[in-house]
Amino acid sequence: MSLTELRPASHRPAPPPKKVRTRSWLYRFDNKTIPYVFISPFFILFGIFGVFPLIFNGVVAVRNWRLDDPTLTGWAGLGNFERLLSDEDFWNALGNTFGIFILSTVPQLLIALIIANLLNRKLRGTTFWRIGILLPYLTPVVASTLVFAIFFARDNGMANWFLSLVGFGQETPLDWRAQKWSAWIAIATMVNWKWIGYNALLYLSAMQAIPKDVYEAAAVDGAGAWRQLWRITVPMIQPVVVFTVILSTIGGLQLFNEPMMFDENPQSASGGSAHQFQTIAQLIYKVGWKDLDLGYAAAMSWALFLIILLVAGLNTLLTRRIGGDR
Amino acid sequence: MRRTLSAVAAGLAATLVIAGCSGRDLESSNKTEGGSGEQITLKVAFWGDMGLDKLKADYEKAHPNVKIVLNTGEFNAQHEDLQKKLVAGTGAPDISAVDEGFIVQFRNQSDKFVNLLDKGAGDFESKYLDWKWKASMSSDGKQIGLGTDVGGLAMCYRSDLFKAAGLPTDREEVSKLWTNWDQFIEVGKKYVAKTGKKFVDSGTNMFNPVLAQQPVGFYNEQEQLQMDGGPKVAFDVSMKAIDAGISANLASFQPNWNQGFKKDQFAVLACPAWMLGHIQETAPDQKGKWDIAAIPGGGGNWGGSWWTVPSQGKNIDAAVDFVKWMVQPEQQIEVFETVGNLPSQPDLYKDPKVLAYKKEFMSNAPTGQIFAATAAGLKPQYLGKKNGPTRVAVENVITRVQQGGLKSSAAWPEAVKQAEKVAKTGKA
Repeated sequence: MSLTELRPASHRPAPPPKKVRTRSWLYRFDNKTIPYVFISPFFILFGIFGVFPLIFNGVVAVRNWRLDDPTLTGWAGLGNFERLLSDEDFWNALGNTFGIFILSTVPQLLIALIIANLLNRKLRGTTFWRIGILLPYLTPVVASTLVFAIFFARDNGMANWFLSLVGFGQETPLDWRAQKWSAWIAIATMVNWKWIGYNALLYLSAMQAIPKDVYEAAAVDGAGAWRQLWRITVPMIQPVVVFTVILSTIGGLQLFNEPMMFDENPQSASGGSAHQFQTIAQLIYKVGWKDLDLGYAAAMSWALFLIILLVAGLNTLLTRRIGGDR
Repeated sequence: MRRTLSAVAAGLAATLVIAGCSGRDLESSNKTEGGSGEQITLKVAFWGDMGLDKLKADYEKAHPNVKIVLNTGEFNAQHEDLQKKLVAGTGAPDISAVDEGFIVQFRNQSDKFVNLLDKGAGDFESKYLDWKWKASMSSDGKQIGLGTDVGGLAMCYRSDLFKAAGLPTDREEVSKLWTNWDQFIEVGKKYVAKTGKKFVDSGTNMFNPVLAQQPVGFYNEQEQLQMDGGPKVAFDVSMKAIDAGISANLASFQPNWNQGFKKDQFAVLACPAWMLGHIQETAPDQKGKWDIAAIPGGGGNWGGSWWTVPSQGKNIDAAVDFVKWMVQPEQQIEVFETVGNLPSQPDLYKDPKVLAYKKEFMSNAPTGQIFAATAAGLKPQYLGKKNGPTRVAVENVITRVQQGGLKSSAAWPEAVKQAEKVAKTGKA
């Protein structure tokens, strides 16, 4: 219970005399309706660009809609979803997506946490470091991915050059796109590079709100830096951790640009010669705009939507537990 | 209750404002519609440089009421954009170029294009190469496009690298080295043994030209997959080349491939007429180092485009008139001389201007003569509905062999499996 009421007291004017009736109407309009007008643009835009496509996509998902054969049209019922269950391309893409997701999200958030913790100390040139770690986030993803695609090239690639320095693959350079594990690592590296700084800044801003005396008390009790990080910092910035986990789950499961541009032959959208790194988002694009099967692609995107909901919910639960809500 | 109502009202008002704005925009663009005296704007979408800059000026001079807006872009993006606008039913250009790789996809949606036969384009049929005319025709006999260029097919080679490897450099002699693909692979082996470098850019760029030379491609005219015919022949040639170790295993049009030009990673390249521009752009310092010989196994074609008129346009008739004008001989020769795109009307192959043309960058090779000969000699090949995805699936198998993930002896069954999978999808 607070002693001071911060919200403006709601004036309840004495019942107005009848002659100022119009003014009271305007006043009520101003008070009750105008706020809705002010917030309405968001909801209108959200309705047009968020809710409507979602619903329309759901309608398309239960229909046959093939551009290469316009005669195949009409309601498909759950046929598209049934097809999904036995489609090995879909399961392969799901596996790839989760593989890359785990390889990128886990190191990404851990490193971001450690960097934020380091930046939370007294450093020289604080602003320089803080801006510095945000730079990858500001780089357009297409530009950075193109550079990484060359970085991970088989011939004349810098990654292979580094490997050759430590005596690996001098005879037969590693073809990063040929194997699942190498392709996943390459793509996860791109994602990590881009998002570590962004997450670190989020953590840092949350960390600065933690009162210093908590740390001082812990230090007096003999807790080291590492223990302080896990016992004080992480539990106290837990809402932000949950937020970043949800965001990276959504982003990680929708991964598209990186695998798309990493491919040797991006036009095919096949994610490697044997679909080594084809993610679900990429498969949806391929089914819709390369195989021209819009109904099936819509069913896939609904499936992806449900999977993301599920995983994000699960991750939130897990993070809550780690964060100390026992 | 009152509260919700007023909120809804406010929302409606805002929507009306938005709708009002867009409505006005539509109106203003509609103004171009109508009689001959009014201004007409034609939007033309294509990729790269199709040599239209001068044609646009000429046409606008002759037709003061027509304004032509050229919209060039990236190859794949332009095709995808056209597809999306066709689905949306609005926003497509008045005239759009469509490439061979996409023409099947669009001719299957012939209801979204103007049937040019209705607009008197039937007169052109006899002027075109037979297969070029048929390729843009839908199964129910509608013609959605008029051909611009064909690729033809020849073999470009680096005469300086050939010389260093002790091979002949004259284009006649080089052509005699490889009358068939087996000889070509033998020459490649010699080159690799002598120089230690690779000979061709990739196995897929062996597969595609060989397939183009076969009488039947992936699908026959009944839309049945025919893997044991042409595809098998082409696949075997590519496997043989990979096993012989003459392929640099670089995927076309990718950064690695472009770098391969500069680093002399390959000495030959199957090249249609439009490839010359790409070589010149990628490796401008190799002027005079490239030359053109005949392709093993005779003629062939790779690529080439059509002009199409989406039926959602507001000025269909004016658009059709412009397309008809663009495919007239004078304009086609004009385009050939500016950008090198080879016309698809066989009469022009006898035109003295085409025959006399020499490409300076390619050691003054008579490109008009060379490519005209390969395009005219080609037998028509039917392109099935799923030609594009099937090609990608088989190319991916070839790439897997090149990457070492698959043995060449086990590759053919895998290619058949992948192709059948593509052919099967969506047959509801």
